[in-house]
Amino acid sequence: MNGLETRRAGTRSILWICLTVLVILYAFPFVYMLFTSFKTPIETNAIPPQILPSTWTIQNYITVLSTQGVPQSFLNSLQTAALSTILSLVLAVPASYAVTRYRTRPGRIFILLALVMRMVPAIVVGAPLITMFHTIGLSDTSLALAIAQTTVSLPLSIWLMASFFEAVPDELDESARVDGCSRLGSLWRVVLPVARGGVAVTAIFAFLASWNDFIFALLLTSVRAVTTPLQIANFQSQFGLDWGNMTSLAVLYSVPVIILAIVLQRHIVAGLTLGAVKG
Amino acid sequence: MLTDSRFALLLMLPAAAFLAAFVAWPLIQFVYNSFFRYNPIAGSPHTFVGLRNYLQALSSADFGNSALRTVAYTFIVVALEFVLGLTVALLFSGLGNRSRIFRTIFLYPLMIAPIVAGLLWRFLLIDNSGIVNQLLYEAHIISSPNQIQWLSDPNIALFSVALPDVWLTTSFITLVLFAGLQNVPGDIIEAARLDGARYPTLLARVILPQLRPVIAVALIVRGVDAARAFDVIVVQTNGGPQNSTNVLSLLVYNTQIANGNPGLASAMGTIYLIAMMVIAIVAVVTIWRPGSES
Repeated sequence: MNGLETRRAGTRSILWICLTVLVILYAFPFVYMLFTSFKTPIETNAIPPQILPSTWTIQNYITVLSTQGVPQSFLNSLQTAALSTILSLVLAVPASYAVTRYRTRPGRIFILLALVMRMVPAIVVGAPLITMFHTIGLSDTSLALAIAQTTVSLPLSIWLMASFFEAVPDELDESARVDGCSRLGSLWRVVLPVARGGVAVTAIFAFLASWNDFIFALLLTSVRAVTTPLQIANFQSQFGLDWGNMTSLAVLYSVPVIILAIVLQRHIVAGLTLGAVKG
Repeated sequence: MLTDSRFALLLMLPAAAFLAAFVAWPLIQFVYNSFFRYNPIAGSPHTFVGLRNYLQALSSADFGNSALRTVAYTFIVVALEFVLGLTVALLFSGLGNRSRIFRTIFLYPLMIAPIVAGLLWRFLLIDNSGIVNQLLYEAHIISSPNQIQWLSDPNIALFSVALPDVWLTTSFITLVLFAGLQNVPGDIIEAARLDGARYPTLLARVILPQLRPVIAVALIVRGVDAARAFDVIVVQTNGGPQNSTNVLSLLVYNTQIANGNPGLASAMGTIYLIAMMVIAIVAVVTIWRPGSES
């Protein structure tokens, strides 16, 4: 802690009050969504709206889980996110290691190009990918969707892994080499175990990028590979404005990752702030 | 025996090949398509039209207006997030380690899918039965629950659609700035305090200049993402009312998919992409000034 921490008790209580108000405001939308998902349809559309349900019901949850395609979409989301996470890590780990350990000119150009690729809007890559996947027979598959999502998560993964490898001292793999490890062996057996926290952070971000993606799923899936975000969006167009069902599906989809966030809080904060703070 | 630089190239090869095949190659095709006119649904042949798609894009009012809206949207998002994010980061710093539980709560919107956030806010802001207007009405800030037509008044819709984006990612700015604040050397702050600097002076003269590189990275990352925003807007207004939220990503998408004019969409997308990269590079060079900081 540095000199920014306030020492006066009076000031501190004012800060507490401000922060409490802000946090309540910040948490409110999600809490309201949670309450809405337990309301009856009549209450959901009541004017004026009430915050708390007067009778709690799990009918919305039963309805969405028995809607055709919804349970399958969860499996699809999970499968796609797993594929995309593995793909990102398998490609990013060796590449970032090469860039940080061997510091060659092609390495520097490569990592800059990866950064530039992060700026490409999804629609620009997505539109030609529709034709490409059609040509190679991968239309409407989780693999095709995972590949498309990896175009977004791979550049991020490369940058994250590079900053984690940067923190591992060079001497570590030098001594591994002296002890007779091959170059690949020292990455696998010495450096990677030391940087496993970084691998975890990178995996979380790759997973989230895929889990929360909407535009690639919209462009590249139609029936078999449809993910839950598309199903959530469907509830508001197909059957009019069905907020009760929409919110319950959104809660079901968000709660696992929120729990993940709370459990892995330390790692996520490290990943978010690492690149930026090091400048 | 492989030399070290060959070995390094070999390790980069899979990732490079992937990016070449699934980012660079589609990108080349996208730019290539911008010189042709064709309709994929009708199956019409590709006709080379030179720069005509670009001329059409640049001379159409739709494209110009969408470009301006994209800039406005990005500005609204980044400005609101910066002010809110910095305020909260300073509150966190003021409370030190005691703010831990609040920092956890602040993290959760980052995990929520943009599409969920967009739909949720549409529900919160819905005319006459939305909870936001109801609460404002009960607090006597507005005189009737449907006084503010958040998403159906073309004059304010662009601001309203930005709210879920701000809600989702202010946490990112907060966490990055908070981490940056932890790294501001304590003795600099102590010295300024001893010189009698009050908090506003301290903030403007000492803290913000120290944070400059961190602020730059956070704003550039968020700016690039806001300029590409699609999910939150498409589910809230789909570009309406009266096109008032029709930003470039939506215009390109609709020209490509709904209007079936990929040639024109590609020309628009190419201009959009080039503009974004130029702005991002200029921003990196001027705001960040890598190397000029200690």
